[in-house]
Amino acid sequence: MLIEIAKGMAHTLRVMLRKPITVQWPEEQKPVAPRHRGRHILHRYDNGMEKCIGCELCAAACPVGCIYVGAAENDPANPVSPGERYAERYEINLLRCIYCGYCAEACPTEAITLGPRFELADYRKERLVATKEDLLEAWPNMAQSRRSPSDHGAGADQTGRASEVPGLSPRVAWEDGIDSSASPRPGEYGIPSHVPRVISPDEAEPR
Amino acid sequence: MAADTTPPAAPEDGLVGITIDGRTARVAKGTLVTDASAILGIHIPVYCAHPKMDPVAVCRMCLVHVEKMPKLQPACATPVSEGMVVSTERADVAKTREGVLEFLLLNHPLDCPVCDRGGECDLQDFAFRYGPQASRFPITEKVHFNKAVPLSDRIELDQERCILCWRCTRYYDEITGEKELVLQERGVHTLVNTFEGKPLTSAFQGNLPEICPVGALTNRKYRFKARPWDLQRTKGVCPTCSYGCNINIDSRDFEIKRFASRDNPLVDDMWLCDRGRDSGPSWNNVERIRRPVLRDATGSREVSVSEAVAAAARSLREVRERHGPSSIAVLGSAENTNEEIWLLQRLARTALETPHLDHQLEAFPDIGPEEHALGIAEIEQCAAVIVLGDEPEREAPVLTLRLFKAQTKRGVAIRRVVAQATRSLVGELPAEGLIGLIADETNREHATALAGELSRSHQVRRMTVTRGVNGRGAKDLGMLPNSGPGYTAVDQAGKAGRHILEASAAGLITGLVVMGGSVWSASVTPLLERVAAALEVLVVIDTRPGPLSRAATVLIPGHAIFEKGGTVTNMEGRVQRVRPALPPATQTPSETRILSALAAELGAAGWPGDHLLINRELVTAVPAYARAGNGGRALFEAAVRA
Ligand code: SF4
Ligand code: SF4
Ligand code: SF4
Ligand code: SF4
Ligand code: FES
Repeated sequence: MLIEIAKGMAHTLRVMLRKPITVQWPEEQKPVAPRHRGRHILHRYDNGMEKCIGCELCAAACPVGCIYVGAAENDPANPVSPGERYAERYEINLLRCIYCGYCAEACPTEAITLGPRFELADYRKERLVATKEDLLEAWPNMAQSRRSPSDHGAGADQTGRASEVPGLSPRVAWEDGIDSSASPRPGEYGIPSHVPRVISPDEAEPR
Repeated sequence: MAADTTPPAAPEDGLVGITIDGRTARVAKGTLVTDASAILGIHIPVYCAHPKMDPVAVCRMCLVHVEKMPKLQPACATPVSEGMVVSTERADVAKTREGVLEFLLLNHPLDCPVCDRGGECDLQDFAFRYGPQASRFPITEKVHFNKAVPLSDRIELDQERCILCWRCTRYYDEITGEKELVLQERGVHTLVNTFEGKPLTSAFQGNLPEICPVGALTNRKYRFKARPWDLQRTKGVCPTCSYGCNINIDSRDFEIKRFASRDNPLVDDMWLCDRGRDSGPSWNNVERIRRPVLRDATGSREVSVSEAVAAAARSLREVRERHGPSSIAVLGSAENTNEEIWLLQRLARTALETPHLDHQLEAFPDIGPEEHALGIAEIEQCAAVIVLGDEPEREAPVLTLRLFKAQTKRGVAIRRVVAQATRSLVGELPAEGLIGLIADETNREHATALAGELSRSHQVRRMTVTRGVNGRGAKDLGMLPNSGPGYTAVDQAGKAGRHILEASAAGLITGLVVMGGSVWSASVTPLLERVAAALEVLVVIDTRPGPLSRAATVLIPGHAIFEKGGTVTNMEGRVQRVRPALPPATQTPSETRILSALAAELGAAGWPGDHLLINRELVTAVPAYARAGNGGRALFEAAVRA
């Protein structure tokens, strides 16, 4: 019995004297694994052009629907990306992302990958809706002033900005009791019409 | 034994029996195999075939096996015959489909990620479903053509993406007759191009990207605006004219990105005009009235809707007490839904008790339903159609396509005549059959005179192109000084629209309620300004600012037609539903709710505010609307004149 206790204490002593495997983060940093799936990066070609062509395939592949892409046409004299199309807006709601990497898999130009950055905490939810400027690889001589997330983009539900835009208020609009007892219909009182509808028999007819 | 093998005789019902992949159906004689397969729920891929165009069988995508025929047959050009047995599942059919697709993709660019058609492209879909796994052709050897060639300010052509189905050139030959697109060169170098390189000028170009099965012809106004899977699709009715074309309203981020056609063979036959198609996205930028405003001598202030409604009721009551009910007038517009019109005319007649109400400026002394007797699809059944002036086709452009179809595919004689021409047309018309007479509202009197003359020798049916999306509904439901709901007689005829405005400017009318007046043309602006200056009380419910709304003593914002529910009636009387596609740009209730609240403040409580409840009330009072239901025509038996 004593032998068992001595064995156990010896093990404890051994471990106590070993160098700890934890580090004093954030003063001390550990390298992340090469295929770590952290915050996304939007890449550029060697000449500085953006790889992203704004095709929205990442947004289509994303299982949680947290990517918003707004495409636009390239000015041939001053193109942002090769070809006709580029992403004018690109937003990822990092609070919703599950870091699955499907977006990177779907991307036809390898424009988006998941990077090493994992320190994603903030006091404001709005800061965690990453915009294109946040995600793009830095490039010399290119000013990168951050635009706020768009009103109805990836973070509309997080930023609360939707309620500031007339017509987009999630608040029900019959502000002063004019309404009768009839239940609200999507779209009629500021309820976005993409809310699944309850279709009354009258409305279910084809035309 | 042997006797049993002969098949039973086909029933004599004018139909023919066909078997496709083991499923049988009896279909009308002359039905194409593609259409029969659609009836049976069997998919046959097609590129060149189009439901509104004659078959040409150039793409060979639809090849199927037909028993007793030595080679595979194009299903899009093969009419069914009795006892025909078709197979779309045999190995040779599948192999041919793979071959056709491999050829189509030989020089096709790898553009799907940047192609506006990606996600709703027949080439993508069929290649995915029927195509070969891989191409044997090296990607580096593709032949390249020009990309993003502008054909006009609306249409862009990507020559590499074209699969040479000829639909676009046939559209110009068969549907519009304008012949603006041609095929040039031969073989792999064949290209679609405009005739002599001139830009397209057609008023129906927006249909091209919809009929092109791939992303070769795309809409420049919709370029890169959205992916199909982003779009929220709502069925609607084009708000631009009275023809009532059915549309799909495609929106993203609470903005209308495009109007797409929604085939209604009785109305639009799946074609839209560019004016209507472009009107959707243009709504995203229009200036809107957003908050209720009260205005008096001391200035204006924003108030809540309840306050605005109470103030409107209070000031209208004051006017009535001081000057009597006929010092008040009510003006609607042809942009209001039937439900709004119903409440508005009821407000005028019962709550305000004024005979002065109208929805338009012109006076129609002898208004009656007989001027709307001809249906749009009935044009094809006429022996001849007379079009008075160029106004009908200018007001309702898609009418042109229906007339062209009637002329070329049904042999209807189309006579376009100057409205004022007094010479007799009787000699030029076929002796037998129905004569259609189409005019717009400015030529009503000429049309009435001509119809009177023709009806002595012919059966004549008239069509009148009304103005505004719901000009017909406003007339049917009695938003008129001289006719009640359903063209019933009224006790006392009131002033018509322009007379109301002139009386207001002259101080005879001191209180005016206007709903949707911002649609009146700029030519009446000086009159409206005088009206605004003279009135004591001006209540305006409108979506967009105009001369009246800027001077209104009570201003209440309204919802645009795609922000609310209701019905509108097109010029032939077809009652069609509109649905909210976007949330309203104002944080205020819909017009119907405002009107019922206003009536309650005026002492008439209990009016419905919900459009479905109003509709129920309306169809009870106007049986023609009950018979029309949803999507049918409201037809009135006889005119009862005031
Ligand atoms: S990692 Fe997954 S959840 Fe996150 S944005 Fe990409 S696809 Fe969406
Ligand atoms: S990141 Fe890739 S998939 Fe996403 S829009 Fe850009 S190019 Fe397309
Ligand atoms: S036309 Fe269709 S297949 Fe061709 S690039 Fe466009 S989406 Fe892809
Ligand atoms: S442009 Fe489109 S519609 Fe015209 S031939 Fe080519 S693929 Fe067909
Ligand atoms: S669809 Fe039949 S040949 Fe083109």
